[in-house]
Amino acid sequence: MAVIVGLPLVSEDAFLADQLGKFFLYGIFALSVDLVWGYGGMFTFGQATFFGWAGYVVGMLTVREVGFLPLPFWVALPTAVAAVALLALGLGYFVFSGRLALRGVYFAVVTLAMAVLSERLANAGGDITGGQNGILFGARLGLPGLFYFDRDYGFYGLTATLLVIVYLLLRRYILSPTGLVLRGIGQNEDRVALLGYDVAAVKRRVLVMSSAIAGLAGALFHVHDGIVSPGAVGVELSTLVLLWVALGGRGTLIGPVVGAVGLSLLNARLSGTFLDTWLLVVGVVLVAVIVAFPAGLFGFLHQSRSRV
Amino acid sequence: MTSARIGTNAFPPPVLEVQRVTKSFAGFTAIKDVSLTLQQGEMRGLIGSNGAGKSTLMHLIYGRELPDEGAIIFGGQGVSDLPPFQRARLGMALKFQVTSVFDDLTVEENLALGAQPKKRVRKGKNERIDEILGLIELEPKRSWQARELSHGEMQWLEIGMVLLTDPALLLLDEPTSGMTRAESRHTADLLHSLREQQAVAAMMIVEHDLEFIRLVSDSVTVLHRGSVLAAGTVAEVQDNADVQDAYLGRLA
Repeated sequence: MAVIVGLPLVSEDAFLADQLGKFFLYGIFALSVDLVWGYGGMFTFGQATFFGWAGYVVGMLTVREVGFLPLPFWVALPTAVAAVALLALGLGYFVFSGRLALRGVYFAVVTLAMAVLSERLANAGGDITGGQNGILFGARLGLPGLFYFDRDYGFYGLTATLLVIVYLLLRRYILSPTGLVLRGIGQNEDRVALLGYDVAAVKRRVLVMSSAIAGLAGALFHVHDGIVSPGAVGVELSTLVLLWVALGGRGTLIGPVVGAVGLSLLNARLSGTFLDTWLLVVGVVLVAVIVAFPAGLFGFLHQSRSRV
Repeated sequence: MTSARIGTNAFPPPVLEVQRVTKSFAGFTAIKDVSLTLQQGEMRGLIGSNGAGKSTLMHLIYGRELPDEGAIIFGGQGVSDLPPFQRARLGMALKFQVTSVFDDLTVEENLALGAQPKKRVRKGKNERIDEILGLIELEPKRSWQARELSHGEMQWLEIGMVLLTDPALLLLDEPTSGMTRAESRHTADLLHSLREQQAVAAMMIVEHDLEFIRLVSDSVTVLHRGSVLAAGTVAEVQDNADVQDAYLGRLA
């Protein structure tokens, strides 16, 4: 963890720092998926919905000049996180409660539908979402006097700090008694229910937590990028994050971070050089790693250690 | 231990009453007008050939399925409409037929999950876990991952896990399936010591293995094509001509 976070400080490369700042947000995004899928066993195809819509909400609230708008960034950010958490809460009630109680592939299909629908909505949203072009963040956003999303070490410092905080909080959660319940649910949900736990309530809470984490990362990511467009809420990004988590090792905390940051970095550095073959190489490496280590790189290391 | 759920008066209600329960699936009546009562301290065997309705009856008792007609009364309280987790909170515990331990968690973590849901048990949780570890003889393997245990040990771990929920009723769905003869005997000993310690108010054991039923049950209910064919002591049921025709006879 320290190695990843400290890289640009050693290399004194401001461009690398800025780039890594973005990838750290991908790392946080991957951790949000790891929480629901890696630990809770809920395979989600729609995590970008939370990541992307949070960006949109910040855009809607800070860019347009109508009525009480624009709001300052420090108001828009928590509003965006709350909005996607609310969306997740609604989804949680819809899919986990009552006799419906979707799980496994059924949950995956619902989240996939959510991502597809989101992308359509973002495209068709007219002035509200900016249609295909999305929303451009014109104003200089940040915390006045403290921090702006300009290309410098500030952004990198912010996201590195956030990544470490999210990592530590999740670590603490996973090792806590409630985290133990979540790990149990990931392995055998019926057994957990028949010990007297309200599995639907636990899953709902975790989905909300995970969406808030994804939303925080997504809001910062798009403000830094200066634009949010329909791809941000869609299936492609939702799938990409699954690859990061699978490759790094779901059910470990360091794995998804390394998967997200590592693959994004490789992609940024190598895709320019090997334009045509890059995607092919990524695909082959992914298949090879997943066949050789189904638990992901760090999942494999973790297992071999505990066998001793 | 169970006084919070089961009445403390001189005539406590039965632990479990199944009252005229019927359940159909797409026109097929799996359980037809079944009634049975489990008194305090009872160890009841539930037998019947494949398709007799044993599994469906278990599902109805612990809440995986809801009855079309009839009622499930647990400790004097109607639970027919409650989801499984709420029945578990009231003191119903199930040992699944398919071994259901948490493979990637340690033996101790598995047990901790059992001890957690109720505040009452949380107090003195570690002592209770130590106690159960001794009972199921897994003390030396407390930090092993559950996946590393033998088949029999996994079954005992699951029994230990549900015991930590401090249940009034212990439902065991074919607890000896896949076990060696020695492991089966060991399981029978475990169930008997549970009764001696009054760890649970009553047990119901679904089994194919009649030998095992003889070892652990005072009374037996025989299901046949979704209905109760006979009920009584093991000896009575074995002498019953209908039972011999329908079930025991075929095994001989």
